[in-house]
Amino acid sequence: MPPSTPPRPPSSSGGRRPAARPAPGARPALRSGPGRVLVAVYAVFALSASARALVQIATDFSAAPLAYLLSALAAAVYVVATVALVRSSERSRRVALVSVTVELVGVLVVGLLSVEDPVAFPDATVWSGFGAGYGYVPLVLPVLGLWWLRSQRPGRRRG
Amino acid sequence: MSVALAVWSLVGALRAARPSGGQLLLAAVLELAILVQAAVAVVLVATGTRPVSVATFAGYLLTIVVLLPAGVFWGLADRSRWGNGVLAITAVTTAVLVLRLEQIWNG
Repeated sequence: MPPSTPPRPPSSSGGRRPAARPAPGARPALRSGPGRVLVAVYAVFALSASARALVQIATDFSAAPLAYLLSALAAAVYVVATVALVRSSERSRRVALVSVTVELVGVLVVGLLSVEDPVAFPDATVWSGFGAGYGYVPLVLPVLGLWWLRSQRPGRRRG
Repeated sequence: MSVALAVWSLVGALRAARPSGGQLLLAAVLELAILVQAAVAVVLVATGTRPVSVATFAGYLLTIVVLLPAGVFWGLADRSRWGNGVLAITAVTTAVLVLRLEQIWNG
C-alpha cells in the first residue's frame, strides 16, 4: 500500500445531499457511510460462513476435517470483523484491522493451497479457489476493508 | 422481486438518493412472499417431502427469513445513498439465497 494515499475532502464521504449527512465533525464512525455497506456485506458473510461451518462440522466432520476447521476459522474471523466494525471504537478499530488482515492472508493462503493441492481440500471452504464459489467477494472484501479502515484512521492528516 | 429491489436500490445508490417508500413496500411484499414460501417448505418437510440435506436447507431457510428485515433496518438507520447500497446488497443476497434453496431442494 502506498504511504501517501490521496487526501479526501472531509465532505466527500457522504451523499451529495447535505440533509442526508448527520452530525458533521463527529468522530469518524466505521459504520457510517460506505462503512454501512461494508458492515452489511461482512454480516452476510459472518452469517453464511458460520452456518456453513456448523452444518459441515455437525453432519460430516470426518470427511474433510482441515477444510471444515478452516471454514470455522473463516466464520470466526468474519464475525469478529463485523462486530469490530459495528462497535467502531478505537480499540475495535484495531481488532477490525487485525481480523481483516487475517482474512486477507487466509483467503490468499487457502486459495493458493486449494489450487495447488486439491487433494488436501476434498470439500470447499469459503476461501477455496480465492473465494470463487462466492463470486470472489472473499478476496475483494478484505482489500476494501483495509482501505476503509485506513481512510478512517483518526490521526490521518486531511487536505 | 428480489432482483427488482436490487436494481431499484442500486439505481438509488448511484443517484445518491435515499431509500424511498416504494422500495420499502416492495421489500415488505417480498418478505411476505418469503414467509409464505418458508411456511410451505416447513409443512412439506414436516409431512415427509424433504430435500437431501435437511440441515443445510434449514440453515438457508432461516437466513433468508431474517435477512431482509435486518438489511432494511440497517439500511434505513443511515438515510443516505449508502442506505440504498445496503438494500441493494441485501436484495442481491436474497436472490442468491432463493436460487441456492431451489438447488438444495431439488438435490
